[in-house]
Amino acid sequence: MSAPSLASAIKSRPWLAKRLMPLANWYANAAGYRKLGLRADDLIPEESEAVLLALKRLPEKEAYDRVFRLRRAFQASLAHQLLPKEQHTKPEDDYQYLSPIIKQIEAEAKERDDWDSVVISKKA
Amino acid sequence: MKISGQRPSPFRTMISRSAIGRNAQLALRRQCCAKAAPSNRRGLAAVSSGSTSFSYDSADVAGVKTASRDVAGPTTKLAVVVKAGTRYESLPGLTTGLEQFAFKNTLRRSALRITRESELLGGQLSAYHTRESLVLEAKFLREDLPYFTELLGEVLSQTKYTSYEYHEEIEAIIKLSQKKLLADVSALALNSAHGLAFHRGLGTPLSPSSSTPFKYMNEQSISEFASAAYSKANIAVVANGTSQAELSKNVGQFFTDVPATSAFTLSSDTSKYYGGEERIAHGSGNSMVIAFPGSSSFTAGGSYKPEIAVLAALLGGKSSIKWSPGFSLLSKAASKFPGASAATTHFAYSDAGLLTIQFSGPAAAIREATTEAIKSVKSISEGSISKEDFTKAVALAKYRALEEGQRTDAGLVATGAGLVHGGKPFQIDEVGKSIAAVSADKLKSAAKALLESKATVSAVGDLYVLPFAEEIGLKV
Repeated sequence: MSAPSLASAIKSRPWLAKRLMPLANWYANAAGYRKLGLRADDLIPEESEAVLLALKRLPEKEAYDRVFRLRRAFQASLAHQLLPKEQHTKPEDDYQYLSPIIKQIEAEAKERDDWDSVVISKKA
Repeated sequence: MKISGQRPSPFRTMISRSAIGRNAQLALRRQCCAKAAPSNRRGLAAVSSGSTSFSYDSADVAGVKTASRDVAGPTTKLAVVVKAGTRYESLPGLTTGLEQFAFKNTLRRSALRITRESELLGGQLSAYHTRESLVLEAKFLREDLPYFTELLGEVLSQTKYTSYEYHEEIEAIIKLSQKKLLADVSALALNSAHGLAFHRGLGTPLSPSSSTPFKYMNEQSISEFASAAYSKANIAVVANGTSQAELSKNVGQFFTDVPATSAFTLSSDTSKYYGGEERIAHGSGNSMVIAFPGSSSFTAGGSYKPEIAVLAALLGGKSSIKWSPGFSLLSKAASKFPGASAATTHFAYSDAGLLTIQFSGPAAAIREATTEAIKSVKSISEGSISKEDFTKAVALAKYRALEEGQRTDAGLVATGAGLVHGGKPFQIDEVGKSIAAVSADKLKSAAKALLESKATVSAVGDLYVLPFAEEIGLKV
């Protein structure tokens, strides 16, 4: 799932992060998903093994809230309406609740691949 | 090694033979052979740093109890025996859960890495539990001791107990093992007999019963149980095939992260024998267990009664030689009823024991065989057994006890359990002596005491045919 991203490189340089933050916030708001009450991680496509497994590993409360947010957004979208302002996702609520789990699953898969193709050299 | 020595090296093929002198060629060959056979590599026959003693050396290494037996041979077996068997579990099923979490993801490496690395070293990892102990075990080549000591130390102190491993892997395995248990009449009968005999503590079922499936067990309760179980005071590290010095060095190095004391202590009341009768209807197969109070294990010290081991051998049930039912009273009794089989087992624990006679086969045959079996116990208590049978029984009991000490797996667990329960390591010579000292009178009085005490009877199977305790002349 995870697309190549410069985020970690930018975050590790505070001066750069400070300059780009206003732009990032503007972009996130302009993308519109917050106005439908969604979080950025709700937009990750579900159609992959890793994401499906990650969804199963979500804590019960997170999974329930996710479904609620999605249904509310579908409903708003069908009605061609945005949610009232107080129901918009606040920037501090827009945290990554799913991506860390997906990254962990991808790391597990990579580790398995690495072990499957391991080359053993005997100590001299 | 020889083949690699004769293989033409690129160096030799490029330069013509006459270009280098014979000495240089020889030197070249010697060098390549030396590479193929390093001096520290030993053939199988050469490995013999061990002694042939069958008794364990024990030592306290920075608070961890260790014992080792330096048996000669190229392999080593290392076990961590934890005083966290089903007897000590704080909630039902936790011991099984903790056993399943052994060798899963730790803070330092993943479960996959543990598996693959051990495979590459030719090691074997296993975890199992008894009523009193939880055992984490590794078998490997002698020179890999540091790696596996580190691994066991890491499993004890750094396992992550993640929620997803519990839900994705452990839960499914426990459900399957439950199904297996429910189909196994003899295991059901033994569990039921332990429950009747000891109620709580030793009476807790060996694997979680179906009435308490996942009500109490989750990754958090297992993790809490682990923090109580895996502390230095609560474990013993036992090794077979390594010297005590080597073991002490590695344990001292790799068990530093294991906490010295636990958050709460796992305890169990002193076992008390109750006895009683239980009948469980079951569609597949019949099994019946008649049990009496036995003796605690040798490693417990004072309350060890060797005559119970002799009585178990005399009652027997399974022939130890070919083409004959053998001398044991129960195998003679069972051979009259086709299909029935009997087996006497003495389960010895740290502060109690249970002498069980287990019958299996067609219900009608079991019915007859049990009556016959009680008659033979009576005949022992009246002293009407032949001197020859008595001698055979003592010899067999002695052999069994010594074999148990000699076999690495049983000896390992017995020693570890002895150490964590505050007793002594399993000392093979003393066990043999105490069994040989059993007299016919002692055996007679032991059998008499059994019949006078309250019996434990549990029947699983066709309850219409299987007898009640009253019908076979037992008090419950």
